[in-house]
Amino acid sequence: MKVEVGYAKPEVQVILPVEVPAGATAEIAIRASGLLSRFLEIDLAAVKIGIFGKPCALDQVLRPGDRVEIYRPLIADPKEARRSRALKK
Amino acid sequence: MLALLAVCLLFALFGLLLSYASRRFKVEGDPLVDKIDAMLPQTQCGQCGYPGCRPYAVALARGEADINQCPPGGEDGVKNLAELLGVESKPLDTARGTEKPKAVAVIDEAACIGCTLCLQTCPVDAILGASKFMHTVIAAECTGCELCLAPCPVDCIRMAPVRETAATWRWPEPGAVRP
Repeated sequence: MKVEVGYAKPEVQVILPVEVPAGATAEIAIRASGLLSRFLEIDLAAVKIGIFGKPCALDQVLRPGDRVEIYRPLIADPKEARRSRALKK
Repeated sequence: MLALLAVCLLFALFGLLLSYASRRFKVEGDPLVDKIDAMLPQTQCGQCGYPGCRPYAVALARGEADINQCPPGGEDGVKNLAELLGVESKPLDTARGTEKPKAVAVIDEAACIGCTLCLQTCPVDAILGASKFMHTVIAAECTGCELCLAPCPVDCIRMAPVRETAATWRWPEPGAVRP
């Protein structure tokens, strides 16, 4: 079945189509995509992944058409940002 | 007797031919809708008043919508639609928006709080991210529809014009009249 694996940074974004056997997990798709050799900063054990914006585990079984996404942490602290916004008002 | 037989044979032959042709050349859906849809810019921005480009194409094919409702398509788009549908061209309905140079959304990473509101609004899944994780616009998939700007609670999304490079340049639409 066809799935996609995506990773995005401000300067470069990649969405790679991958052909995986039915019943494959997110981890299989990510490893098959070759993304890990292209972006060495991705540590599969530490990153958070998901499918179309919904976080999932590495052993999540994929469905055809899924887009497995590798996320990056936030820079801003949402609570701190909210506090400073409230102060400004 | 022979003539009767020959005519019957001919009828049977033509009948078979017709039934074959109706199956072989079966038209799926309305070809006019596909033609109109191919002319629309596929920004899925909804400025025409329909949920996306295809619903607008369907409405146009039915004669329910006017040809000047698509700002991203611009004056050239209106002219092309007029030609396809065989109606008089008219100026773009500027109440729905104006034609702008192509731009893509860019997220200010220092301000993004990972709220997913822009993800939910994006009609083409061009933003990659999840709740409490960084959101990033996939520039190649962004249509520049600007729908993500309004929902952002920290106003961290802006539109950046796409510079014409060898990779992004495209031939102008055929039949388009350029000033």
